[in-house]
Amino acid sequence: MPKVTFITRDGKEVVVPDGCGTLMEIGREHEIEGIEGDCGGVCSCSTCHVYVSPEWMERVGPPEDMEDDTLDFNEQRKANSRLGCQVELTDALDGLVVEVAPAED
Amino acid sequence: MPDPDDPFREARERCPIHLGDFQGETIPMILRHKDVRKAAKDWKTYSSDAPRRVPIPSEEDVRTVRQYPLEVDPPVHSEYRKLVEPFFLRPKLPEFQAKLDALQNRLIDEALQQDRIEILREFAIPLQSHALTYLLNVDEKEAETWIGWGVHVFKEGDGSSKGAFMEQYCRSMFEQAEQSPGEDFFSALNQAEFQGRKLSMEEKLGYANIAFAGGRDTIIYTAVRIIAYFADNPKALACIREHPEMINTAAEEFFRMYIPLTHIGRVCPHDTDVHGHTVQAGGRVSLAWSSANRDAEVFEDPNTVKLDRKPNPHVAFGFGIHNCLGAHHARAIMRGLILKLSERVERIEVLEREDHIEKAADYARKIGYEKLVTRWHPATKSY
Ligand code: HEM
Ligand code: FES
Repeated sequence: MPKVTFITRDGKEVVVPDGCGTLMEIGREHEIEGIEGDCGGVCSCSTCHVYVSPEWMERVGPPEDMEDDTLDFNEQRKANSRLGCQVELTDALDGLVVEVAPAED
Repeated sequence: MPDPDDPFREARERCPIHLGDFQGETIPMILRHKDVRKAAKDWKTYSSDAPRRVPIPSEEDVRTVRQYPLEVDPPVHSEYRKLVEPFFLRPKLPEFQAKLDALQNRLIDEALQQDRIEILREFAIPLQSHALTYLLNVDEKEAETWIGWGVHVFKEGDGSSKGAFMEQYCRSMFEQAEQSPGEDFFSALNQAEFQGRKLSMEEKLGYANIAFAGGRDTIIYTAVRIIAYFADNPKALACIREHPEMINTAAEEFFRMYIPLTHIGRVCPHDTDVHGHTVQAGGRVSLAWSSANRDAEVFEDPNTVKLDRKPNPHVAFGFGIHNCLGAHHARAIMRGLILKLSERVERIEVLEREDHIEKAADYARKIGYEKLVTRWHPATKSY
């Protein structure tokens, strides 16, 4: 099972040794602030926004169209933005590091 | 006749706006998903700083107060919103969830025991009213009063206003809470500080107003339509029973399809070109959430319920800074309802039904039922 590190909004590291499911799901399980997953993972609420650390971008891959459109409306969007609910964890992502994006407004 | 579930389809495919006539006021309705999201984000062009005029039709004749935080813009919007946010997050508390569970089980027990049950009055209104006591953290006895208010707090079936009655009720709740403060919504607002001062009675009534009005027919109609869906599609209950992981996607799909709120307004502070139509300063536009949710550019087979639809970027709870504060509550209620129906009910028979149609000058949209009489059959074994 892949290991995932979240960098929280206050700059701390939270390591999840055995991530299973989506980034949003494990973020919620570990009560990481800013990973709320309000819509349950259907790309509607944007409360699961993360920045993928640059060295992982290629392996995580870019967002699909609907996710991309949703992210486009987010003022905090950067080139390495993803919605956590759309990133399914696989062994290929063992060691992944993501940063929780700041709240909108 | 256009499909009452998606009356804007033709207009939406032809043109980004539909010029609606609302009591003599021409309001361009923004119909497409991308345009609605864009306008909802652009509060400088499309402002909510318009007391009693954000809803369409306007509510000047049914309430005296501005609704908070619905009818304010940044920068004060987020300050107003923060004051009540803790209450709207209560659905995340285990004690809230436990009460909601017990309530839903009790209502389902009653439905299963009766020969026939009218869903609006005997299921959805009690569900909404009791659940709201948990959200506002007030004595559950208050629900009995609210149940008597019917589906709409503002209008009787004949269109006459009873908004003044609800305002009077809220005023007395704030006064009582002043005498004996507790941990409830009314006491919290009495004690709240806004920019270093206490809130005025007008502001407090404005917060209560949307909690009672905005949170009422939306919940009632969504619940009724979910039950009607399962009555018409009995296999769906079995499907969810076998795949409970579908509960969240099913709930979001019901919110997308059955959004009771056709649209909501914004005011243009300056002359504004809205997709080729000029809105004069002070005029309104509409953000047609219900139309955006059926946009074929975004949703494949938009008029089909797909219980596992994902992604599903619907705008049933709005978009941007004013996104629905009651969404946690609505989601907790509907997810719970779907789970419990799938576990405990085999089949729901419809004995009588009458649609509730919202009629405007140039469209008719189904938003729920006037009446839905049913008979329930229990699941053969309990899951
Ligand atoms: C299925 C149920 C519901 C639906 C479809 C719904 C829909 C919406 C929509 C579309 C908005 C955005 C309005 C705008 O952009 O101007 C909104 C805002 C709001 N809703 Fe809901 N709502 C629901 C339930 C509730 C409940 C249960 C409550 C309260 C008990 C509630 C309270 C509010 C409040 C306070 C706002 C204003 C938020 C702000 O301006 O920051 N809603 N709702
Ligand atoms: S959980 Fe809602 S968009 Fe990811």
